[in-house]
Amino acid sequence: MLPEPFTPNFLTRLETLRLRTRKEFLGSQTGSYSSPRRGTSLEFSDYRRYAPGDDLRYLDWGIYARTDRLYVKVFREEVDLFAYVFIDASASMAFPSLGAKYRPATHVALALSYVILANHDHVKLHLLQNTPRAPVSPFYRGRRRMADCIDFATAVTPAGTLDLAASLTEHLQRLRRPGKAILISDFLMPAAAYQQGLNLLRGSNLDIAAIQILSREEVEPSFPAGSLALIDSETEREVRYQWSAGARQDYQARLAHHNLEIRSFCHQSGIHYSLYVTDRDLGDFIFATLPAIGLFK
Amino acid sequence: MEFLNPAALLGLFALPLLLIPYLVRRKPRRLVFSSLLLFLEGGASASRPLGRLHLPPIFFLQLLLLALLIFALSEPVFSVRPTSIAIVLDNSASMQALEDGKTRMAAAAEKAAAIAAELGPAGKIDLYTTTPRLQRSGAAPFGPVEAGAAIRSVSANDLGDPPVDYSEALGRLLRERQYQRVYLITDHPAGAQGAALRVISVGAPKANLALTAFQVRRSSLGNAQLEASATLRNFSDRDEKIKITIRGDGAALASREVLARADKALDIDFAGLPERTAYLAEIDARDALPLDNRRFAAAPASRNLRILAVTPRPQAAASLRSIPGVSVEAIAPGDYPKTERAGYGLEIFQFAAPESLPDNPALFILPPERNFLAEPGAPAGNPQVSNWRESSTLTRYINFSLFRPAYARPLKPRTAGEVIVESSAGPLAFSLERKGLRYLVLGFDPLPYLGRENLPMSIFTLNFLDWFFESAAARSQATGEPIALGAIRAGDEIVLPTGEKITLKTGSDYFFDTYRQGIYQRRRGNEIEVYARNLADTAESDLRNPAPIAIQDSAQSQAGGSTLFSFWPYLLLASLLLFLLEWFINPRPVARGLRGRQTV
Repeated sequence: MLPEPFTPNFLTRLETLRLRTRKEFLGSQTGSYSSPRRGTSLEFSDYRRYAPGDDLRYLDWGIYARTDRLYVKVFREEVDLFAYVFIDASASMAFPSLGAKYRPATHVALALSYVILANHDHVKLHLLQNTPRAPVSPFYRGRRRMADCIDFATAVTPAGTLDLAASLTEHLQRLRRPGKAILISDFLMPAAAYQQGLNLLRGSNLDIAAIQILSREEVEPSFPAGSLALIDSETEREVRYQWSAGARQDYQARLAHHNLEIRSFCHQSGIHYSLYVTDRDLGDFIFATLPAIGLFK
Repeated sequence: MEFLNPAALLGLFALPLLLIPYLVRRKPRRLVFSSLLLFLEGGASASRPLGRLHLPPIFFLQLLLLALLIFALSEPVFSVRPTSIAIVLDNSASMQALEDGKTRMAAAAEKAAAIAAELGPAGKIDLYTTTPRLQRSGAAPFGPVEAGAAIRSVSANDLGDPPVDYSEALGRLLRERQYQRVYLITDHPAGAQGAALRVISVGAPKANLALTAFQVRRSSLGNAQLEASATLRNFSDRDEKIKITIRGDGAALASREVLARADKALDIDFAGLPERTAYLAEIDARDALPLDNRRFAAAPASRNLRILAVTPRPQAAASLRSIPGVSVEAIAPGDYPKTERAGYGLEIFQFAAPESLPDNPALFILPPERNFLAEPGAPAGNPQVSNWRESSTLTRYINFSLFRPAYARPLKPRTAGEVIVESSAGPLAFSLERKGLRYLVLGFDPLPYLGRENLPMSIFTLNFLDWFFESAAARSQATGEPIALGAIRAGDEIVLPTGEKITLKTGSDYFFDTYRQGIYQRRRGNEIEVYARNLADTAESDLRNPAPIAIQDSAQSQAGGSTLFSFWPYLLLASLLLFLLEWFINPRPVARGLRGRQTV
């Protein structure tokens, strides 16, 4: 059964979208994404001198008339896309509750997956956890595999800590085809940690999109004023904190600065970046924000 | 404005304790958060463990409530100037203790003078002292000016506090004399105060060393050797090394350095002292109360024991003369009332009894049927002693299996005493002590003294003579104890420790003014008798924790018109109202489902 936001109308709207890539990949079959190879699509790519054996249908007779030389028109090859959706499944994604953060994150991932599946491309879901064999789905293709995607994404409960770079390294070792990588995480980790992780994806010749998921409680904490012993959901580390309106402002300023750093890094690294605060409407995010950052065509 | 119970104001120092619940309440709430990354970035100021203490307005309300409550407990009163007051000055020995170079008595006199000076010219002051008894100085009330002079003339006696319930005594004074206010100025801490009965305390707790006992005596009857014993008490919480010196007629005879353990008493014995008229034991402590650093003793009585035997059988009593140091004068029982009995160390009543206890130690041998001491039982021959008092001078060295009086009548005591020797038929000997004098009643006749021929009885005879002799040496020497004067001749006088001579008047039986510690000399022509008087109340020497004096409400409720307007009940009412206000506005403690970890 599809999750709540995935109404028929929502799915229909998703089918109108196509993922945009900034790189060209070698696909396995004919698809709708440009390949670096020359092929037989309608999109003109270049000219080359005629060589015996070339298909005469592609001779450009106009050039021949002007230059008395034989040139053949070369077209791009259009291939299918391999997309990898990485979902942060550490304990922090279950804060303040599964329904308030992890589920919205999976909804974003599933929406993107459905866009890919609807275009007859391949999508593979990766759950990022600090476990030796973190869950990875097989490649799914076609709309009918949407149910499998849902089953896979919702079967896991977020838990444990996350070393993004280490976890991605393990997943990337099992990656065979370049493609589009979409990383969905709260990115509540030191800059060095997420930068290392994103650089690993870049190094794997993947076209990357980063979607930051934060709950409203994380953006605007509503702690009671006074002395608090805050416990990290992942490390269980405890910090004494005197909470007040001023402290709240300080926290929000630091969060804004942290998000700005992520955005800047992504911008400099050619990564699509967007922040999704989970109390926001998913459709609005998918159909307005993500196209705005160039994730969809 | 004054405070009847100023000690309660000390509670103000406890007000900061109110912060404790707020500090405890500040115990941080444990909350789980997705990541502490951004909190850790906040730096030291953010993660400061205590942070700033935010006190809610209710705290200040509670602070006000507590302050009002303490203020009410201190019983503030607005006073109106009284016109008729009594000042009771504690002039017990402990008032001689030194506080910053001056005595407590001087401090008390200053306070008393200040109180007297506060009265207007129309004020009337009665001055009282507490020792030797609660008594008024002067017949008529003093005006403020005369009161100042009278107060300065009061000096402390070397006496302990009288056994007076001040609350009751001062209440009666207030009631009967219609004083508007009665002040007791003492070195005892003031407990609960009254509106009209006020206790003003002078002095602070102090450590002190004291000689609490000193005796010089002969080691035994007829022994020329003198021995002294002193008891040193350390009323402090630390050990003190101290030198004690024995002087005789002003010259040092012996000294020793001893270690007085904290809060303990130490007995120090000296032997082989030469014969002197008077002895002084002193310690070289420079403590708060110099008075109890010295103690006096008169030379023990002569080695001779003078015995007055009242007996129909003078030969039996005369047999005691064979004991060295014993002289016996025998008289018939009928001559006893006419006989001058002063100077005898022992009176022996054989088959006789006086109408009342004599003023000398006495031995009653087989008293007649009608006597006030004991009822003689049925006669018995050679009774077997079944029980006797162990570790007594009277029973030492005696083999009671051989102790078989030829004739005995068991006694049924008619007065409280201690049974010394007992047969199966009843007590054979019992002793009693009245007014420091020892008496022994025997149901058998130890006389005549036969020496070695009846060894157990002879040993018993020597034992009781020693026992009576001891008693003469151990007579009480407390200040305030009168000196028995006996017959007074013209020109007889008493020389006080201060050197002042007082001529004795005929008709006086006792000299009462022995309120100073020291040696008193009674001069009768060339004959001089020496008496020592010493502070006997060890409680006076313990300057650390004197008993507080509290004035009961009942004592002042019957007082005349008070000059005080008490408004503490209004403060109490205000406190109650504040409490109710606090009750309503203070948020109820929320059920803490957050005891453990809580996720926001």
